[in-house]
Amino acid sequence: MLTNYQTGIFFDEMMQHSGEPKGHYQWFYQLVNQFSERELINKHETAQLNFLRQGITFTVYNHTGGTERTMPFDFVPIIIPRADWKKIEEGMKQRMTALNHFLDDIYHEQRIVEAGIIPRDLIENNPNYYQRQVANLEIPLKNHIFLAGVDLIRDENGEYRVLEDNLRNPSGMSYVFQNRYVMRQVYPELFFQHSIETLEHQISELHQSVISHAPDNADSSKAPTAVLLTPGIYNSAYYDHVFLAQQMGIELVEGRDLSVKDDVVYMKTIRGLKRVDIIYRRIDDDFLDPDAFRPDSALGVAGLLRAYKKGNVSILNGIGNGVADDKAMYVYVPDMIRFYLDEEPIIPNVETYFLSDSEKLDYVLDNIEKLVIKNVGASGGYDMLIGPQSEEREREEFKRKIIEHPHQYIAQPTIKLSRAPAYQEGRFYPCHVDLRVFVMNGKEMNVLPGGLSRVALKEGSLVVNSSQGGGGKDTWILTERGDKDA
Amino acid sequence: MLSRVADSLYWMSRNIERAENNARVLSVQLIHMLEATNKESADRDWEEILEVCASSEDYYELYDRLDRETLIQYLTISPLNVNSLMNSMIYARENARATRDILPEELWEVLNEFHLSQKDWQELPNTRQHTQDYLKKVITTSMTLQGVIESSMTRGTPYTFIKVGKWLERAEKTARILNVTCEKNIKETSVGTNHYYYWLTALQFLNGYDAYIKEHPPTMKSKHVLSFLIKEETFPRSIRYCMNHVMEAVYNVEGGKISHYSEDLFQMLEVIRNEIDETDIEEMDMEQLMSFLDHFQDRCMTVSRMFSETYYLIEPVHAK
Repeated sequence: MLTNYQTGIFFDEMMQHSGEPKGHYQWFYQLVNQFSERELINKHETAQLNFLRQGITFTVYNHTGGTERTMPFDFVPIIIPRADWKKIEEGMKQRMTALNHFLDDIYHEQRIVEAGIIPRDLIENNPNYYQRQVANLEIPLKNHIFLAGVDLIRDENGEYRVLEDNLRNPSGMSYVFQNRYVMRQVYPELFFQHSIETLEHQISELHQSVISHAPDNADSSKAPTAVLLTPGIYNSAYYDHVFLAQQMGIELVEGRDLSVKDDVVYMKTIRGLKRVDIIYRRIDDDFLDPDAFRPDSALGVAGLLRAYKKGNVSILNGIGNGVADDKAMYVYVPDMIRFYLDEEPIIPNVETYFLSDSEKLDYVLDNIEKLVIKNVGASGGYDMLIGPQSEEREREEFKRKIIEHPHQYIAQPTIKLSRAPAYQEGRFYPCHVDLRVFVMNGKEMNVLPGGLSRVALKEGSLVVNSSQGGGGKDTWILTERGDKDA
Repeated sequence: MLSRVADSLYWMSRNIERAENNARVLSVQLIHMLEATNKESADRDWEEILEVCASSEDYYELYDRLDRETLIQYLTISPLNVNSLMNSMIYARENARATRDILPEELWEVLNEFHLSQKDWQELPNTRQHTQDYLKKVITTSMTLQGVIESSMTRGTPYTFIKVGKWLERAEKTARILNVTCEKNIKETSVGTNHYYYWLTALQFLNGYDAYIKEHPPTMKSKHVLSFLIKEETFPRSIRYCMNHVMEAVYNVEGGKISHYSEDLFQMLEVIRNEIDETDIEEMDMEQLMSFLDHFQDRCMTVSRMFSETYYLIEPVHAK
């Protein structure tokens, strides 16, 4: 099936340079070889239709409003051997622990600033730093990060590196479950003799994490009432919200369903008002409460911040997390790990230059065609330049933007993102991939085994974001038995 | 259950029922048209169709005259008509999307599938065959959705809100169709032979011909038809059947207890029930019947409003 497949200069998840599959992909390779071309095409189409029919969509914004789209699904899974996964898991726990310390610290004593490790400037001028709103607040479990979606990539040597920490409203967890579900429906053969980590208990882990954040003033004689707060059906990640609320068995609410009275949050039900204890919000800080943030927000709930400060309601993820997952603060995460935990980072960062550093700025302007430039405040693949794939005109435009606002941009060397085979339009070809790992934290920390492998389906493209045409793959963590079989 | 969710379920259901009923009316009319002997009689009934399926005021704001092709387009896929089949189904899907977390997965899938295929319908040439296929698709989609609801939803509060929406929409539509038929009957009372045809059409619009004919072998007396469609307790589109079920549903939601906040609603439903019971259709002339039907349609609107108020579907809830 992969006869003309070339790994090239890239690290390939599945294939060796010799053209043979790697050990842990052997059985998958053999099985897929038994499918006829017709079977593969049929299965591929069935899988895509499955997503469409179920309306598992995300919304792409454009000038005429939003269009619903499904994320293309690719059936070649990313398989991760047990030992590799163990390391990722530990690395993620370490990183999230440090980031959580950091968030608690900068909204309290700011020890890390006092120690001269992170410039005060970088924090105080950060648009996502909500000192005025949440400084010195004691929150349940001292936990700011209930759910993180950390983006990992592998470089040309196959080493995992963290690309981004998403600590605000990471989306995509529903796709992990749906990918697995569709995969089992459409390719049952692949599951027949293999031992991979199941996702079955993960939703109850997630629910436990939510519930463990009961606020100080909740009625401890009753189970706390948790809700998921969504901006509504036009939000790009609405499906994610529906899925999580439904699976956890909590109410999916919009801002207009909630109201605050005497600093207590209620939801409006057909029988009147019902008290809410925990809000897993999927609305950005800015829009949460028109009294405390943007007064023009129609998505939020007036008075929510006051209720939060009084300990009458918990808000997950915490308010003000954005300061820690900013592309500039990212550079300091290894230092945070050293400072708070006195450990060396298990999973390294990608090398990153600040353009506010004038020496680096000159280097970047001279070598822009070799680098990736990112706006520190943007996400989703917007406002970025991939040097080697850019045109002269774009490079000039970015140079101009950088000189104008050097603080606004960072640069990274173009990483030779690892690749894996993807099957689209009747053939296999290599595509760049990354991996979003979900970390849940409550009384205990738990890493969802696997995560969302995203794939840049456009040949040669490095952008895996779904809004930019990326697709999804199932991610398999081999169990101990599975490791032996491989 | 959240008030907003209850409201969405109620309107999802009304929109689906509305689409099904309008699709059936249009489908029946398109077939009758084929049998009409001349163009005049073929065009004659469209005014009533417009009255049953939409608002003629709205239509004439957009168009100067009643053109058959324009009207068909207006009633099926026009984005300009809030009651067009396409719009009703879009609203139903949006309502379902906003309540996906509590609806059966299959319900969403059926609605979504319709939505995906609807895009293709809009691009097909506007032939009679395509229109009929589209109407058929709307009707079977509605029926499939009802099957999903009946076979997989627990008989809890969400289910009840769905059912109340459906029955109220249905009762109102039955009254509307009868009203239009009575009016036509009065207008053309001199031409005796057409009466059979009017009442037959009303029965077909309401999918009640087969059921009626079993009760009243091949006769088509206006009194029989009217009494069947208004008072027959066992026919699921009769006014009485629908209202009895609305009452029963509200009773179930309240666990049989009439609380202070639901008292007005119960009283109103009781009044309507008595009004239906006390109406002697055999004794009424067409004008009296029409005013009865008008009055009933007003009652439906009142019930809809009271129902919404009772469960905070429209009024914001104030903390006490």
